[in-house]
Amino acid sequence: MNSNVTSVKLVLLGEAAVGKSSIVLRFVSNDFSENKEPTIGAAFLTQRVNIDDHTVKFEIWDTAGQERFASLAPMYYRNAQAALVVYDVSKPQSFIKARHWVKELQERASSDIIIALAGNKVDIVEDGGERKVATEEGQKLADEEGLLFFETSAKTGQNVNEVFLAIGEKIPIKKPNEHANNANADGSNDNNRVDITSSDNNAAAVSGCNC
Amino acid sequence: MGLRTTSKEMDQKSQAGPSGSNKSSVSLVSSLMRSWKITSNPSSQKSSNSNSNSYSNLSGNSSGDNRLNSGNFDAMSKQQTAAIKSSSSYSPLRYSTPVSGISVGESPRPLLYSNHRNGDHESSIKKDAYFKDLDEDWSAVIDDYNMPIPTIANGGISRSNSDNLTSTSLSKAYDPSLPLSRKVTNNSMKSSSSLGTNITQQGTAQSSHNLSYPQLPQLQKSVTSELKLQLEMENERELQKINSIMQRITKFDCIVSDKKIINQQELRQISWNGIPSIHRPKVWKLLIGYLPANTKRQESLARRKRQEYKDGIKHIFTEEHARDVPTWHQIEIDIPRTNPHIPLYQFKSVQNSLQRILYLWAIRHPASGYVQGINDIVTPFFQTFLTEYLPHSQIEDVEKLDPESYMTEEQIGDVEADTFWCLTKLLEQITDNYIHGQPGILKQVKNLSQLVKRIDVDLYNHFEAEHVEFIQFAFRWMNCLLLREFNMSAVIRMWDTYLAETSVETSSGSSTTFQSTGAAGTGSGESNPHTPLQPTNPTFQTPGSDYHSPSSHTNASSKNISSGENNRLRYSSLNEFHVFVCAAFLIKWSDKLMDMDFQEIITFLQNPPTAEWNENDIEMLLSEAYIWQSLYKDATSHWQ
Repeated sequence: MNSNVTSVKLVLLGEAAVGKSSIVLRFVSNDFSENKEPTIGAAFLTQRVNIDDHTVKFEIWDTAGQERFASLAPMYYRNAQAALVVYDVSKPQSFIKARHWVKELQERASSDIIIALAGNKVDIVEDGGERKVATEEGQKLADEEGLLFFETSAKTGQNVNEVFLAIGEKIPIKKPNEHANNANADGSNDNNRVDITSSDNNAAAVSGCNC
Repeated sequence: MGLRTTSKEMDQKSQAGPSGSNKSSVSLVSSLMRSWKITSNPSSQKSSNSNSNSYSNLSGNSSGDNRLNSGNFDAMSKQQTAAIKSSSSYSPLRYSTPVSGISVGESPRPLLYSNHRNGDHESSIKKDAYFKDLDEDWSAVIDDYNMPIPTIANGGISRSNSDNLTSTSLSKAYDPSLPLSRKVTNNSMKSSSSLGTNITQQGTAQSSHNLSYPQLPQLQKSVTSELKLQLEMENERELQKINSIMQRITKFDCIVSDKKIINQQELRQISWNGIPSIHRPKVWKLLIGYLPANTKRQESLARRKRQEYKDGIKHIFTEEHARDVPTWHQIEIDIPRTNPHIPLYQFKSVQNSLQRILYLWAIRHPASGYVQGINDIVTPFFQTFLTEYLPHSQIEDVEKLDPESYMTEEQIGDVEADTFWCLTKLLEQITDNYIHGQPGILKQVKNLSQLVKRIDVDLYNHFEAEHVEFIQFAFRWMNCLLLREFNMSAVIRMWDTYLAETSVETSSGSSTTFQSTGAAGTGSGESNPHTPLQPTNPTFQTPGSDYHSPSSHTNASSKNISSGENNRLRYSSLNEFHVFVCAAFLIKWSDKLMDMDFQEIITFLQNPPTAEWNENDIEMLLSEAYIWQSLYKDATSHWQ
């Protein structure tokens, strides 16, 4: 493991039940569960990925999607360097909500925040379910607003690691210990490593930290 | 109770005849019968020397231990608090100091979690004086309420037909004409036999020994004295446990069934320390103020409220009702995600019930509407009220059985209605938690941080240094009342205390308003079943006109704020106590957390190691919270 670790604070935003927590669970633990309890407040998880010769450590705040909890969101995106806005390709309403989140982030988050857009649950479409948000729509929004764009499936794992890798590649490499919250950024204290390199659709070398 | 098998008694056993032998060999069945006689029928003691011998212990040492076993941490805490307060040198800065007095830790677990039972023997002497008082109080209770001894005796011994009982309780769950004492006696036998497979098996094994009486002395001789002592201790503990459970059941029976007006204060006091599962559904309804204390009015009120609920549901499915589609869909999405690990919540009938309850609640409370977390809070009520329709031997299987397999549609509707009203009553007390901006939760989180700053300043400073904010982990604690932190049985035990924490005056006061306005509400409901309830009942913050258009928020929220303030005054106790429980929960891990960094702290607090927590752990937590509340009462004066 390379000792050059860049920490990235990432926030997940999106309507309730679009699969934010499931995407994180897939990314962090390479796991999936059909009925995950709704997130209350926000959940915190971390994961490391190796990109080229350095390591990016994602510190992920997975926020609750329900409108009532939206007032908490600024607390989590305020200092974020990256945001992943998620919608459900089978729910047009969730795409509208995603648009709102993108707008809010551009207005109120840090000006150099990297935003990625993820149309989740594409497995439903592949199983013959009805797609309500066309790939082109998502791509168009991404092009207009300068976002990274992926269609993902937390269930199958499709494109999940790719989203995070793409974000990680856009993060400028920094010296460790830059963040107050990250006292052990050199990785020496980490335990409970979870190796998710077995993931089929994982191009780069990814190693996990589930702590 | 009263069956301490001291070595002195062991010596006596050979002269004491069969019943004395039973004592030393601890036949579970016979001792159960006997102990139960002791608690319910003192006069019968005179027939046997050994019995009266053990009865004399009733108000002695053993009762103190039993009290502890029965989870009387309230008393324990009070005593602790008194001790702490009287000691001028004590500075309550760190947590371990006061607790070390409670449980002398020989267990491998950290001091704070050591099982109460371990501490009993060491600390029993110290507590004798206190528990003696309680015990006298207990015998006074027997005299006062003139327990129906013959019924109990018959029920306990001869009535073993569980099917008979089941069908009775199934069809007449609310029939006050059904003598509850009979029911309960039967239950108490059963519930004690279902205490746990361990005890049951051991009991069976030992009772089979007992049947062949002449073998007993050999058995006694063959074991070494050490083993014997160990066995004795175990048996003694189990006996105490069983006895104390039976004692509690009988006491609840006294309070709930024997009077015209139920003594709310007494009920709250005893419920604080846990409610036997057979009594739980009814006692919860009483504590929360759904059922009136006047036993004569209970049946009619329950019938009326159930009808009101059913009318409300009927209305939702008529065309006159413009469905709030986003709310309906949100609930629909969340229902399968509610307690996904418990089979009960995967049954379609249960999911439909919960969806109806939550949707009706949401549209009647537009100022808050449906907020995630309420779907968690509804489940302990629903699950507990289902147990009313189960044979008592199967109460613990409620999480596995499809209600449709043992209930009629009508009965499921009744459970839904009861759940709906109790949910309404509970959420009424924490309205501010779910309205826009969730000010109630923010305030509680702030109170928690201030409290921790006072109780455990090291931990507070450590959090500051690591940039851990309380809202990052405590938001969920407040939003879901710690439901996500514990398994269901622990939560249900916790709710015994929580529901008892709604203060006495307010609840009895509210139950009277509830009755009078409830009557008015029913009048309109019956005259026009498709019209939703007019907000004659203080439960509803919704103006009647809002019922069809839950979007007119301004009007509703202003109303809501005023009623919220009202509730804060009336119901400060539950909110306040919850913050103390959260503080106790956090400080429980203080030593561990002090060694962690930001990431580890947040991760740990999101997934606290509570999966194996049982009722003892919860009771410990609650008693710790009680201690903190007593010590820092002044800290909360500005919370209101």
